[in-house]
Amino acid sequence: MLLSTLQELRVHSEPATVSFAGTVDAPSDHDLMIAVRAGEIGQLGELFERHHQRLYGFFVRLTNQPSVSEDLVQTVFYRILKYRHTYRDEGKFTAWAYHLARKVAADHYRKHAHAPAATDPADLHHHADLAPDSAARAAAADDLAFLRTALARLPLAQREVLVLSRLQSLEHKEIARLLDCSVGAVKVRVHRALQELRTVYFRLRQGKSP
Amino acid sequence: MNCQRLQESFLDYQDGTLAAAESAQIRAHLATCPTCQREWSALREITRKLATCPVEEPSPRLREQFYAMLDTHRREADAPSPFALARGRLDRFFSALLPREPALQFAFALALLAGGLFVGSRSFTPPAGVAAAPADATAQTEIAALKAQLNSMGRLVTYSLLQQQSTSERLQGVLATMDLKTPDRKVLTDLIGALAFDPSVNVRLSAVEALAPHADDQLVRAGVLSVLPRETAPLVQVAMIELLASTRDTAAAPVFDRLSRDEAADKNVRDAARRALALLRDEQSTPADKTSAQSNKPNPSLT
Repeated sequence: MLLSTLQELRVHSEPATVSFAGTVDAPSDHDLMIAVRAGEIGQLGELFERHHQRLYGFFVRLTNQPSVSEDLVQTVFYRILKYRHTYRDEGKFTAWAYHLARKVAADHYRKHAHAPAATDPADLHHHADLAPDSAARAAAADDLAFLRTALARLPLAQREVLVLSRLQSLEHKEIARLLDCSVGAVKVRVHRALQELRTVYFRLRQGKSP
Repeated sequence: MNCQRLQESFLDYQDGTLAAAESAQIRAHLATCPTCQREWSALREITRKLATCPVEEPSPRLREQFYAMLDTHRREADAPSPFALARGRLDRFFSALLPREPALQFAFALALLAGGLFVGSRSFTPPAGVAAAPADATAQTEIAALKAQLNSMGRLVTYSLLQQQSTSERLQGVLATMDLKTPDRKVLTDLIGALAFDPSVNVRLSAVEALAPHADDQLVRAGVLSVLPRETAPLVQVAMIELLASTRDTAAAPVFDRLSRDEAADKNVRDAARRALALLRDEQSTPADKTSAQSNKPNPSLT
């Protein structure tokens, strides 16, 4: 049949050999995702093991809500399954996963319009408490609490670009593709976000430190 | 390089992705500019702190939930729906039935198309010839009846419109009569009535226009002739004179004569009356040569 010929063509097309976390022997993310798309749903488990932590980090930095972040990671993997047919042969799995993750985050913020209240100064104690024993620990831990609070106070767009570039270690090129802008624009945004973070951070430390 | 632009390159400088020349430039500038030095050390501190941010660990709940979801999906995938099964069976049936080679498939499709065209041309004759013939006689009478009905309806509308109070509606009524190819006497008398008694110049003028195609009718000519002496609006008078002149009715000559010498009448009206008179006289002298009289209308007012 013509359809079967087409299918063959599709499988034979050259897959982009991009792997993120895989070793030389292990199949690449891309190969795994192609397998998932072809119906080997079990292979998604391996992809989950490789990426769930990074995705969780992305969400927890963005939302400052650990349990919500777990749900969001779950949603991302659910959507990967649901939309697996849209994964393209020349695709790159991490880029696609972050693309979905950003959409999941946007959906979350739309549903809970009040959620990014992290910018509210009244939330300061709440966020400082994220590191449970920050007060009891040494100054280093205190610093970390300030940094988290400062990050939480940044506008969402700035926080996102910082998380992607400095905490998730995505290349500027990848971020540019995700945000649909030029590499130069990403650099400028990261720079501004860092300046803002620094300002907020030092202000917090001056006001709070003993 | 100014400080602002230089500071925007700090990130690349830190990442080591700058060209050697640019890096050297930044190093040299940093050695001399205290503002940029402060900026640079602050940036380094904040990025170092960010880098030391510990990786957050999700709780075991995430993994449990994920594998639960995966299991559900895998079970669904392993047990395909009855619809998918039926579709697979149908697909297999048709693939067994049809040829596998693309060339053969193409030939098969062509053959099917040719067969369809052949059968179609055999079993269906053009519908027009079949339907029209037997219904001809009855349809003709029906159409005639409908036409008559439509005509009488048009007349009815015209009568009622001519009785209207508003000028525009009466005007519409007069204009509607122009659509009637063969208006009956009642419509024509109504039009003459409108010409004689309607207070609006526009309606009277339209009435003249509507009557013009029926000027051959004796009734129309007599009506217009009787109304003309009473008409006061020059526009309508001229239109009526022209209507009567075009019919070459010698009965109008005395009226024209009176008008052409009436000092109270408008100059244009007098001119028109004089022209019409000349035309009528011309007509009387050479009654046979109608066409030439029509083509060179004598125009005394201009000469």
